[in-house]
Amino acid sequence: MSNLAGKANAMTLITPIDGQVMALINKGIFFFLGTRFLKHKLNGLLTLSMIHYARWVILSARDFPRLSAAQPAEELDYSYMLFFSNFNGSWAQYVDSFSVAIPDGLDGLWWRNVGWPHSVPEEPFHRYVTDNQLWTSHYHSAYPMAASNDIKSAKVVKDQLRAFARDTERDEPNAFLERYNRLLKSLQHDLGRMAPTPIVSLATQAVDERRRADAHLKA
Amino acid sequence: MTSDADAVLDLHDIQGNIIKAYPRFGYPRARNFFLRVSDGDAGRAFLSALIPTITTAAPWTSGGASVENSQRPLVTTNIGFTYDGLKRLGVPRASLQTFPEEFAMGMSARRDILGDDGPSAPTRWDPVWQGTEPVHIFVSINGRDAAGLEQRYREILALLPVAGVELAAGHRCQSEGALLPYQDSSAIFVDGEATSREHFGYSDGISNPYFKGAGTDSSNVIGGGKATGKDPRTAAGWEPLETGEFLLGHKDEAFEYPVAPVPNLLGDNGTFLVYRKLHQNVGSFDSYLDGEGAKFPGGKEALAAKFAGRWRNGAPITSFATERKANEFAAEWAAAKLAIGQASTQAEREAAKQRFSALNTEFVGFDFTSDLAGGGCPVSAHVRRVNPRSALEFNVKGAFSTPSALSNRRRILRRGLPYGDSRAERKDEGEHGIIFMALCASIRRQFEFVQQQWIDYGNDFRVGNDKDPLLGNHGLDENGECDGRMVIESDPKSPAPPYLCAKIPRFVETRGGDYFFVPSLTALRMIAHGIVDPT
Amino acid sequence: MSNENGNAYALTTLCPLMAVCGQDASPAALIRDRLHIVNTGAWSPLAKVPNVYFSRLLILDDVVYQSKPHRLEHLKSQYLVFEASLHGKLGPFLEGMWQCAEPFIRSMWEFCVGFSEVRDARTFTAFIEKCQVKTTFFFNGSTDEPLAEQLKSLYLKQEFSKFAYDHQGLSAKELQAAFKAFIARVEPENLARPTWRAGATDLSNVVIP
Repeated sequence: MSNLAGKANAMTLITPIDGQVMALINKGIFFFLGTRFLKHKLNGLLTLSMIHYARWVILSARDFPRLSAAQPAEELDYSYMLFFSNFNGSWAQYVDSFSVAIPDGLDGLWWRNVGWPHSVPEEPFHRYVTDNQLWTSHYHSAYPMAASNDIKSAKVVKDQLRAFARDTERDEPNAFLERYNRLLKSLQHDLGRMAPTPIVSLATQAVDERRRADAHLKA
Repeated sequence: MTSDADAVLDLHDIQGNIIKAYPRFGYPRARNFFLRVSDGDAGRAFLSALIPTITTAAPWTSGGASVENSQRPLVTTNIGFTYDGLKRLGVPRASLQTFPEEFAMGMSARRDILGDDGPSAPTRWDPVWQGTEPVHIFVSINGRDAAGLEQRYREILALLPVAGVELAAGHRCQSEGALLPYQDSSAIFVDGEATSREHFGYSDGISNPYFKGAGTDSSNVIGGGKATGKDPRTAAGWEPLETGEFLLGHKDEAFEYPVAPVPNLLGDNGTFLVYRKLHQNVGSFDSYLDGEGAKFPGGKEALAAKFAGRWRNGAPITSFATERKANEFAAEWAAAKLAIGQASTQAEREAAKQRFSALNTEFVGFDFTSDLAGGGCPVSAHVRRVNPRSALEFNVKGAFSTPSALSNRRRILRRGLPYGDSRAERKDEGEHGIIFMALCASIRRQFEFVQQQWIDYGNDFRVGNDKDPLLGNHGLDENGECDGRMVIESDPKSPAPPYLCAKIPRFVETRGGDYFFVPSLTALRMIAHGIVDPT
Repeated sequence: MSNENGNAYALTTLCPLMAVCGQDASPAALIRDRLHIVNTGAWSPLAKVPNVYFSRLLILDDVVYQSKPHRLEHLKSQYLVFEASLHGKLGPFLEGMWQCAEPFIRSMWEFCVGFSEVRDARTFTAFIEKCQVKTTFFFNGSTDEPLAEQLKSLYLKQEFSKFAYDHQGLSAKELQAAFKAFIARVEPENLARPTWRAGATDLSNVVIP
């Protein structure tokens, strides 16, 4: 079991919402978040730049998939909000960044969730997240050595490098050098090297080492 | 601007080294030593005997005793405990369990978090840290001269019982292979004057956090507090940080009390201290600067400035873009300092002090918001990494609840001094470096986070895995060559490309240390009496 | 369509598990055990599946009680939660998943209600669509390029960075020659190779030459 895949960290939460009406209101908030009226509210999340992809799913009892008549239908008073995030950094850094940098944003999204303690102060917020967290049994990242920033930066490099290679094919050396220097200038914030993640969790490191040792034994 | 009342701290209850950076008060030398306790009763008796000597944070007057203020002591004395130390002294398990995990583990067990690998691995640390047991008690004394230190040291040793508390030996010192039972550190003196220089030649310790109740000159809020978004050169650009970021039992930046040991009397007015002996490879540093500096546009001093984010004389590169401007500023500052002493009237002295204070502010009154691209102070530079100020908002106005939100809870108080002498021979070998000390309410959230995420990594700055050029734990590539690297961005307005610094060696290596709890005087007395009880 | 954000697709499924499966443990416990020993990193079965950026599998046993004064309630079934962030449309992804990871699928979904009908990509797709729940809000903090483009981009970023450092200060002629050789080696337009291997966790095995 692990919530980590290299630099990526999986957070999965399930929290109750007080009834159908509140669920509808919550869905409404998400709807407006995607429109131009509230898009600026996402600035905080985008600037934090810690998330690859995240999603929220609000379900009532009848939304739970039922694949046969023999399977009992769910009967629930609460609606439920499922939250899935793929983020970078340690759990504490992630949770604290929200608490300290965009507390209003979090309150807006979770306010109708039963027992929501608000995102500030931090300790009750930490407990709420931990209490409602589900642990992943298998977590896959296509690029464990790339943070969200690395992916975005890599696209910039790829786009510019392809264009540059094409555009300078027939350049004289001096013209080439001048354009190369401009390319470097344009990419000066994208030249960071990638490598495995820092060890944010000694527990995960210990499990990984055990798995490697086991694999070695089995080999 | 806040409606909260400023914390009124009981300065007599707080250990002095938390509130004061002693070297700034005329105590430029220090001796640090460590004790191991094998008998709890003996340990507590020793504590009781030592407590009257402990220096508190009560304000000093230069002369004339008063009930409120203390005379300035000749030597200061402060004390801290490892988790194992508290256990040995009889603090009950029910209280011990309420201390944070990283403190309980101790610093060497955290080596993978801290990047203490290769030459920095605990197996290479001074023998004092390699015992079968950790050290238990940390005593630090600061003084004006070596004689004063030696005398206080002897006085304290004289308090040791016949058995049950022992001085931990095994600090490597200047001479080949010699080991001492203490670690001396000292400001580097030039022409008989204590300077703020460290062994790479930089002026160090310029900036420290300013928090509510700190009681010092309130102009220290400039650069020391948290950013408000207004002009960083003025006091309007800053607000004091909450006391609880540095002192347990007080409101912190998350609008609560920091996690603290139970009972609250044990934790209140105390804090945590990280002690790290950091060896400096001055030979490698000099030759890297010489070699790369010959190629770098602007030369060696400019390269040194790009590494640190400050010119070696301390002028921030964000405000002083060229060596000439930095030197002019330094000359102005020195002249202003001289003018205070040379003032003949009170009015002249006041004016001179004000002028000096204004210049002093220029060392710290800056932010990176007009230098996002890093053309002045590189994104990877040391001061920008360890205290990004508002840089992490990336100029997206209003993205966060306050501009320096992501930096506010990552600040540390610094209280260390250099050790050893590297002037005679600029080599890697030899015992010279910095005794680094950081104080903060949460070792994990403040010190360890900065060390792991901002010094040994670069994702928050969008530079991938690139490390702090000066302090990063640079490794070796597959050919065994040094493989630290740093992008030195060029100014957005200039056509020049960035300068890419490669093959940076590991300039700083960890040679020892541990995590300590620095209790209040109340807690100290409770520990000494053996009456800590969380029931 | 809230499952989508540009070209990126948020697949969220809750696959109901049977109550019993004739063994001495619940289906949920058995599947969880299987999930725990699946290879990770470059050896995950999902590493071979095209266009999956991130994916997680876990067992949802029950909802979480929030303590008094809140109400205690229970789910009537347990669910295998399969969540994935993908590039492109759902149908081609599920087909690709079946082609590349059929044994994994058969093992992990073995005890799901209705899975006995699944025998090929088409029936697998139909099954997953029945288990799918609608995403209320999908936040994309990354790009929505195809995975192969992302992996190639990572490869190019790493290689170009090294090139830039290694070739600083060369004369125009030398630099240009070196750059041409560099482009010939890294083949910027070739998504198949050289590139980064999906799921690789360290530098010694990340490049597919």
